[in-house]
Amino acid sequence: MSAAATVPLLEVKGLEKSFPGVRALSGVSFDVRPGEVHALLGENGAGKSTLIKIVSGVYQPDAGEILIDGRAMRFAAPEDARRAGVATIYQELLLFPELTVAENIFLGHAPRASGGRIDWRAMTAKAEALLASLDIDDLAADQVVGSLSVGHRQRVEILRALSHDARILIMDEPTAALTEADVTRLFAIVRRLKERGVGIVYISHRLDELFQIADRVTVLRDGAWVGARDMADTNAAELVQMMVGRRIDNLFPKIAAPIGAPVLQARGLVRNPTTRDVSLEVRAGEIVGLAGLVGSGRSELAQVLFGITPAERGEIRLDGQAVRIDSPERARAGGIAYVPEDRGAQGLVRAMSVLHNFSLAALGGLSRLGFIDRAAERRMAEAGVLRFGVKTSSVDELAGRLSGGNQQKIVLGKWLANNPKLLILDEPTRGIDVGAKAEIHRLMCELAGEGVAILMISSELPEVLGMSDRVLVMREGRLVAEFDRAHATSQAVGAAMMGGDDPMERAA
Amino acid sequence: MSAIPVPRLALPRAGIFRRFASQEALLALAVIGLAIAVGFVNPRFLAYRNLADILLGNAYIAIAAIGMSMVIISGNIDISVGALIGVLATVSGSLAVAGAPTLVAWIVPVVLGVLVMAAQGAVVAYLRIPAIVVTLGMMSILKGGLISVTGGKWITDLPQGFHLADLNLLGVPMPVAIMVVATALAALWMRYSASGRAIYATGGNAEAARLCGVNPQRTVVMVFALHGFFAGIATLVYATQLRVIQSTTPPGLELTVITAAVVGGVSILGGVGTVVGATLAAILIAEITSALVFVNISPYWTDSLRGGLILATVIADIVRRRRRASRGRRI
Amino acid sequence: MSVFAASPGRRVPKWLARHETLLAIILVAALAGLGAFNNRFLTVDNLLNQGRLMTEIGLIALPMTFVIITGGIDLSVGAIVGLSAVMLGYSWKTFGFPLPLAIAFALAVGGLAGFVNGFVITRVKVPPLIMTIATLALYRGLAEGVSQARSVRGYPEWFYGLGQGEWLGVPTQLLLLVVLIVIAGVALDRTTFGRTLYAIGSNETAARFSALDVDRTKVVIYTLSGLASGLAAVVLVSRVTTTRMDMGMGYELDVIAAVVLGGTSIFGGAGTIWGTVIGLVMIQLLKNGLALTGVKGDATIVVIGVALIMSTLIASSLQRRRE
Repeated sequence: MSAAATVPLLEVKGLEKSFPGVRALSGVSFDVRPGEVHALLGENGAGKSTLIKIVSGVYQPDAGEILIDGRAMRFAAPEDARRAGVATIYQELLLFPELTVAENIFLGHAPRASGGRIDWRAMTAKAEALLASLDIDDLAADQVVGSLSVGHRQRVEILRALSHDARILIMDEPTAALTEADVTRLFAIVRRLKERGVGIVYISHRLDELFQIADRVTVLRDGAWVGARDMADTNAAELVQMMVGRRIDNLFPKIAAPIGAPVLQARGLVRNPTTRDVSLEVRAGEIVGLAGLVGSGRSELAQVLFGITPAERGEIRLDGQAVRIDSPERARAGGIAYVPEDRGAQGLVRAMSVLHNFSLAALGGLSRLGFIDRAAERRMAEAGVLRFGVKTSSVDELAGRLSGGNQQKIVLGKWLANNPKLLILDEPTRGIDVGAKAEIHRLMCELAGEGVAILMISSELPEVLGMSDRVLVMREGRLVAEFDRAHATSQAVGAAMMGGDDPMERAA
Repeated sequence: MSAIPVPRLALPRAGIFRRFASQEALLALAVIGLAIAVGFVNPRFLAYRNLADILLGNAYIAIAAIGMSMVIISGNIDISVGALIGVLATVSGSLAVAGAPTLVAWIVPVVLGVLVMAAQGAVVAYLRIPAIVVTLGMMSILKGGLISVTGGKWITDLPQGFHLADLNLLGVPMPVAIMVVATALAALWMRYSASGRAIYATGGNAEAARLCGVNPQRTVVMVFALHGFFAGIATLVYATQLRVIQSTTPPGLELTVITAAVVGGVSILGGVGTVVGATLAAILIAEITSALVFVNISPYWTDSLRGGLILATVIADIVRRRRRASRGRRI
Repeated sequence: MSVFAASPGRRVPKWLARHETLLAIILVAALAGLGAFNNRFLTVDNLLNQGRLMTEIGLIALPMTFVIITGGIDLSVGAIVGLSAVMLGYSWKTFGFPLPLAIAFALAVGGLAGFVNGFVITRVKVPPLIMTIATLALYRGLAEGVSQARSVRGYPEWFYGLGQGEWLGVPTQLLLLVVLIVIAGVALDRTTFGRTLYAIGSNETAARFSALDVDRTKVVIYTLSGLASGLAAVVLVSRVTTTRMDMGMGYELDVIAAVVLGGTSIFGGAGTIWGTVIGLVMIQLLKNGLALTGVKGDATIVVIGVALIMSTLIASSLQRRRE
């Protein structure tokens, strides 16, 4: 890169950040030079969003340095970062639909006329100048943002950043919601910004995009720095390897279980726009791994199977019987259990005790005529705490006070109380410590041995490869590949996750 | 990527036209259409005297609805405004009767309104108590306080000069003039001032507002203070029309004011709406009430019509929003 | 979320224990104080009579506790009381329904009104506050329209037994209230229904993901709220012998104040029927005590308003300190 010799616009060194129960970042370093697009790559939970939140002043790091133009800075609030020239464009665009383009751009720092009134003429003129500077000719300063397409709204966000004279622009998955045409236009804008010497931090899961637009890439995994590469010197296979890692040592060895009759048979499941014609089968005693990049529709498929967002078309059979699963209650009645991805928001009632969390999904079985058998409930919870090794002072402790791993054991345990036939695990070991992880893996093997069919979604390829009897790969709402245990190598699965248009060639 | 195709609107420009093509135009049409329809059934409805009565007698509701709109746009609610207007009217009348200068009798309720509402806003914003609890509590404090202090005594013998509402401004009766001026000023302020726009930002997306340097808490206090200001002005119009001020609170007034704001196009979920719509809706509601009499329907049905109207508007608003949201949803 | 999510367990969380103890202490102190101040206060007759007077509010406060525990609110209860009362009188007088049928009709109207609230809240996803403000206007308006603001009186003598009679010296409706308190308390404390309410109020998504029927439960509690308001209307008409369309005006304040004062969190997830009962008794005794010491009736609603705001303030600041 021509800019390599200059001082980086932004540099972070040795950033550390922990949240209760989670180590989000440990020793991450990273820099952006003028006129450079530096990509941040990593699976969900790798620490990308924590990193950008620190750089944009939303979080304060526990340790480490942030340097702007080589000078150490402290960002106590988003305003500080903005003043230093850092602007962030989040995935959920933070715009006000009722206000116009110009107003959205200048909200909070509008040009003022005498007496503090907004100088509308100046504001419109400035907005139009900004629009012109990026050759945006199909957007007017006085349009109401609520009527705009997602691509246009994103341009407004970029303009807002530029109106603050941002020199470092952080873009969090900017193409996630864009059409192809909008992506092309976004890249044109990004290139123009590069010419002006703006440094861009670019986050995306789409590797092919990175090869088009990025100059360098830094890969994070589990909050740690894995490596940095010039895009010209790497290829997609290497990046996937870096992203998903090889930590077989953490894993509990898979115990083979006898595989029985199909428990779940799904044919042609459709739920627009995230699940498009999915057919799959999971057998008793079998662990099926569901791999795919973020946004490929894995969790959405799980929620279709569990009845939270019921399928619009398609057939589901449980033990060979056609069933209609249009609510979680139906799913539970059919013997399906779902351990959701977002433990805090979907899995656990943090303000309830361990006892009550354990029984929450099994209340029907614990009660007669609606009355809860409290002695049985307590026995169940206490047995669960022992069986799953939940570390808690008592079952009356509030679930929210436990560590992530222990919370996950509770969520898992509450579903096992129903003796499910099919267990769907969505990122069962994300963000929990190694010991708890191994215990959950041991438990999965145990359950498979008892004849439970398990469908496991995981972003960690080693986990998928290590635990699964069979691996399914999902991309853009479809199942695109299937591997049996013997053929499921990280190269093959990784390639299937990334998809057809071969980014390796382009990189070469 | 093949998202749901986004139908592009035929009106890409914002401008005055698009803004008024919505709820305000609909309301203006309804106001005129209803007048014509009722006029067919009973021509006396269109008599100048009647139409003037509708406007004069309800201008204060429209004025109070301006502040209510701001409160709702900011994502809050206030159900104490009816009681507050009752209290302020009594204060104003008592001052006038006690021989205070007319100007004092006019200004004190406005100042008092600002203070009471700003205090509520501060509790809502800084102590994070839901507005419904604060204003429900305040409603009972004001209502109960008023009656226990005055014993429900009527205030009579108001001095001649007190009756602001009897005056004319350039030939326009004062209540109507104040309503028009207040609406226009508020509309312009909300549209063109930074703090006016901050209200929309706070109600639309408080978190985003914060990231843009808007202070949502301060905005909420300001909104309540302004609401109190307009409640004070509404009180002036209301109280100085009366020959006798009953020191009670006008029953159901808060609901009428909320209805006007909501039917006027203020989304109850915050972030959307204009004060012009609220004023038009206040006029429409008054017109409906009056029309019932002229088409021989018992006026006792007014309240259920009002309730039905607010319910229908709220449901339509939410359904419309959801449709818009699902259109813009990422795949 | 809050630590005082007091889903009733064997070991009640300390905070709640303290809150209810505190309330009980205040209650006893208030009783003693008022008793010392006025010798007519602490008499069996007076206390039983107060029980009679608080029944209508109490009946509604039970399902309101459920509603607020889920993080919802129902402002239309007073209007439903008015509507049910009018329907009782109207169906009896104008339709010529036999009185028992008219009573059933009034209850059904109350239940239906509540069902409409719950249905729109869950299906259209109108926030409960807004929905019930709208139906507050609508139901009161219907009461006014149907009755044309005319009152109905002259009910048969036997009907007054409910509102004015007594059984073993205890006001009839107070017995009814006690029975319903026990049922509501047990339902909240011991059943899957009650557990579901706490789960919804603490984390609605997790409740849904735990295969609890969130929507149906919500419809049920708003319907119960309407039904209880209908029952309160019947008791009220029987007590005061006439039906007027403005019956129940302002009840929502007393009901919500009793529930919130009793320690139910306005943010959802926590609360008990016991707390509500204490809150209810406190409010009634406050009213009565103030009345006996010569304070006019209207001043007591000032006190209720202050109590509502203060108890929410205290609860929320305690909650924040715990977080």
